[in-house]
Amino acid sequence: MNNRNLLKGIFLAAIGLAFGLGALRYPVGSLQRAGPGLFPLIVGSFLFLLAVAMIVRSRFTDRVPLQFNTKNIAIILGSLAGFAIFSELLNMIAGTIFLVFFSTLAGTKYSLVRNAIVTAVLIAIGLVFQKGLGLQLPLY
Amino acid sequence: MELIHNLAFGFEHALTMQNLMFCAIGCVVGTLVGLLPGLGPLATISLLLPLTFSIPTTGALIMLAGIYYGAQYGDSVSAITMKIPHASSIVACIDGYQMTLNGKCGLALFTAGVSSFIGGTVAIVVLAGLAPALGQVALLFGPADYTALMLFGFVCVSFVTTGSLLDGLAMCMVGVLLGQIGTDVNSGMQRYTFNLPFLIDGIGLVSIALGCFGIAEITKNLDAHEERTPFQGKIHLMPTWPEFKRIIPSALRGSVVGSFLGILPGGGPSIAQFAAYAIDKKFSKHRDEIGKGAIEGVAGQAAADEAAARTSFIPLMSIGIPENAVMALMMGAFIIKGIQPGPNMIAGHPELFWGLVASMWVGNCFLLVLNVPLVRYWLSVFKIPYVVLFPTILFFCCVGTYSVNNSVEDVYITAAFGFMGYMFLRLGLEPAPLMLGFILGPMLEENFRRALLLSRGSFTTFVTRPISGTLLGLIALFVLWQFIVFMREQRKRQDAAAPAVQSPVPAGQD
Repeated sequence: MNNRNLLKGIFLAAIGLAFGLGALRYPVGSLQRAGPGLFPLIVGSFLFLLAVAMIVRSRFTDRVPLQFNTKNIAIILGSLAGFAIFSELLNMIAGTIFLVFFSTLAGTKYSLVRNAIVTAVLIAIGLVFQKGLGLQLPLY
Repeated sequence: MELIHNLAFGFEHALTMQNLMFCAIGCVVGTLVGLLPGLGPLATISLLLPLTFSIPTTGALIMLAGIYYGAQYGDSVSAITMKIPHASSIVACIDGYQMTLNGKCGLALFTAGVSSFIGGTVAIVVLAGLAPALGQVALLFGPADYTALMLFGFVCVSFVTTGSLLDGLAMCMVGVLLGQIGTDVNSGMQRYTFNLPFLIDGIGLVSIALGCFGIAEITKNLDAHEERTPFQGKIHLMPTWPEFKRIIPSALRGSVVGSFLGILPGGGPSIAQFAAYAIDKKFSKHRDEIGKGAIEGVAGQAAADEAAARTSFIPLMSIGIPENAVMALMMGAFIIKGIQPGPNMIAGHPELFWGLVASMWVGNCFLLVLNVPLVRYWLSVFKIPYVVLFPTILFFCCVGTYSVNNSVEDVYITAAFGFMGYMFLRLGLEPAPLMLGFILGPMLEENFRRALLLSRGSFTTFVTRPISGTLLGLIALFVLWQFIVFMREQRKRQDAAAPAVQSPVPAGQD
């Protein structure tokens, strides 16, 4: 089962099915007078066919094991989500502090001092964006 | 004569204080992201899109274009000194890195810089001459032809970027489907929004690009645990006269090849480099040395790279169809600025078109200065450890997505696409076709529906019109050819597998 070529076919087939079946909830119309559902239905079905072809192809090609490192991607996504939550509830400075200190857990070496410097520089850049370029960042 | 007049008009706009500044910023940022891992031109352009809202149109596009071609320069520097290409300078690694090992690093950098300059200059002449003429041709295109042209573009891009037609096409379709999310322009109906208010206007271009290219790339680099060793050697830049003479013919050859390949759909820098390198290997006077650190091996590909990066603007600005993912993003930038690229753009916004063309040459001069005399200062960028770099890039990604709509929802969407991009990466799927599909999706639907409306629901219109018929015929031939190649490989594998226990070479093309 752990075969990258097979899994990618299944993954894409699922996307094709989801959009294709979803399109049926909208009026499809006729070819002459297409409704909003027609085009996604066609494209979704086409993607599904391509994915089926990939699944068939995977039976003939060599297996490539799927490598998936959950730790790093989880840390990165967590730091993005944390940035968003802190920025909304508190302010963006808090979000930035969280982002730097949490995301660097994925790095090779962890240093509090270095993180503090990086955070300070980034906050300064944020201030420049806010004051100089007129971006509306809720920094504080 | 008209060309010179137009170019003079362009320089008038490109040489204003303000536009010079934007051009310089674009080139510096471009070189920087070309040097650094984890941020290609795609991610950087999307990152800077929100910043361009408050900048005048011409300046904004000059800056974004500068990032694109500046990144090509920076990329070749990192390829030559450390054998690490990020975006596209794969070929520069071969002879360029070999020259570094031979102690001729400075010469390689000089060659790459000067050849890129030559390539860029030739391409600008092609761009200025050809784009208006091609725009006339584009006026003949009807909706059916546009539909066929976009499909043709999908097929070419899929094949060129992934090497596997099936994978690439599937990714294009995923992109088209993602582009369906939001309000349907024709009926006003909301599709796939799940009643979430922030999906009504569709998914943001910036979120998808940063998720799939920025976040996924960072995570990949973190997984790899690569420690880069910065280049420490001495750099002696100036070549001797005989060495300099070797650069010119090869660079000119590369410029012509690159300019031509840059125009074709699916073309662009990476394929142009390989072609130029192959041609140098065949026709160069010093062909025996190529592969062992020859000047020609660096000059030809660098010129082709830079030339193709510029001529790839031609299809976008004259026909209105981007030919690769970066151009698709540039098209997004044009549209955000309220300008529809296409046959009417040159006539409608001459200051924009000619200003942009002229600015490319100005940018060329900037880049020559930045990358030849100043190159040793850039090399210190490599000393920044990745553990400092990636939180910084993440911060820019967050601020960039946030400022599109000043909403944190976009940050969540970026994170979601970061996960999706990482999945694609691990599954061996290339996200560049997805980007193209996403941006062209709404246009494809519009033209497809209009073509069917005009033909009263009959598909024959796609075959009987000469332009679309030809393009669809080419697609069919291409698919057939791919199928035959696959079957042949299968046959070979079976033959090989019979005597040997294990087949040594994996047959998959990806």
